Amino acid sequence: MEFVLETALNLLGFLVGLVLGIFAYIGFKNTGSPTLFRLNIAFFSIGIGFGVVGFGYLTESFILNYVKVDMWIQTLGIGIQTIGYFFIAFSHGIKSFFPKSRYFKSIAVPLFIIPGNSIEHIIRSISFILLVYGTIETIMSYMENRKKSTIFVAAGLGLLAMGEFLGWYSVVFPQSVLYFISISTKIAGLGALFIPISQVPLRGVRFGSNI
Amino acid sequence: MAATYRTHMSIIGDILATTRDEVPDESGASVTYLIRKANVSYSRLSKILETLVQQGLLEQTTSERACKYRISERGREFLQAYRGFREFADSFGLRI
Repeated sequence: MEFVLETALNLLGFLVGLVLGIFAYIGFKNTGSPTLFRLNIAFFSIGIGFGVVGFGYLTESFILNYVKVDMWIQTLGIGIQTIGYFFIAFSHGIKSFFPKSRYFKSIAVPLFIIPGNSIEHIIRSISFILLVYGTIETIMSYMENRKKSTIFVAAGLGLLAMGEFLGWYSVVFPQSVLYFISISTKIAGLGALFIPISQVPLRGVRFGSNI
Repeated sequence: MAATYRTHMSIIGDILATTRDEVPDESGASVTYLIRKANVSYSRLSKILETLVQQGLLEQTTSERACKYRISERGREFLQAYRGFREFADSFGLRI
C-alpha cells in the first residue's frame, strides 16, 4: 500500500513539474526571456526527476516483477531533481555556495560530511542547500515587492527543502513513514509553486523568438 | 532610492505600453516622445523599434515631419502575454 502511494505521489510530482515547465516554456517562446528559459529547465528537471522514480518503480515492480526496487532509480531521480533546484537557485544568482560566517559553516558543512560515501545523501544535501537559498532569496524579494504570490513561491520552495531534508532522514530511518511524508511535503511544495500560474491567463499566442 | 536595472525585455514592455497607453495623438508616438517616456538612448531605441516593426508588434506611420509608431493588435496581445509572464517571474522574485 505504501509503495503504491509513493509511486502515485511521484507520478503526481511528475505531472505538476511538467505543467509548470510547459508554462515556463510557453513564456520563453513568447518573450525569449532567459529567466523563463532557466525556470523551464528547472521545472522540467524536477518533473522528470519525479517521473524517473515513479515510472522506474512501476516498471521494475509490475513489468519486470522485481521483488525489491533498485536504489539507483531513486538516486537518478533525485539527481535530476537537483539539477532543477540548481537552476532555480542559479536564477537568483548564487553569490557564494557557503555562508561566510563560521557559525553557519558549522551547520552547513556536516550536511556534506555526515552522508559519507552515499551518492544519494550527497545529492539530497545539495538539493536542500539550493532550496533553502532559493527560499531565502524569494522571501527577500517579497520584502521588496510585497506580492502575495511571492509568499506562495517562498512557501513552495521551503516545503520542497523540508521534503528533501525529511527524505535525507528517511535513509537514516528506512522503515519509518518519513519517506512518504517527504514525498507528500514535496508535492505540497510543487502545488504552492503552481499558485502563481493560476493568476496568469494561459494563452496560445506565438511570437518570434528574436525580440 | 537605488536605480533599478531594466532588462531588455522590460524596456520592450515599457515601449509597447507607452505606444498603447500614452500616445499623444492617433498617428502614434514619435521617437523623441518614446525616448523621453521609455527612458532609453536614441541608438538603442532605434534598434528596438526596428525589431518590433519587423516582428509586427509596432506599426510605423509616416507623418509630415517624422516617423511615428503605434502598437498593432499583435503588439497588444504580446503586451498582455508579457505582463502575465512578468507576474509569474515576479512571483519567484525574478525579472524577465
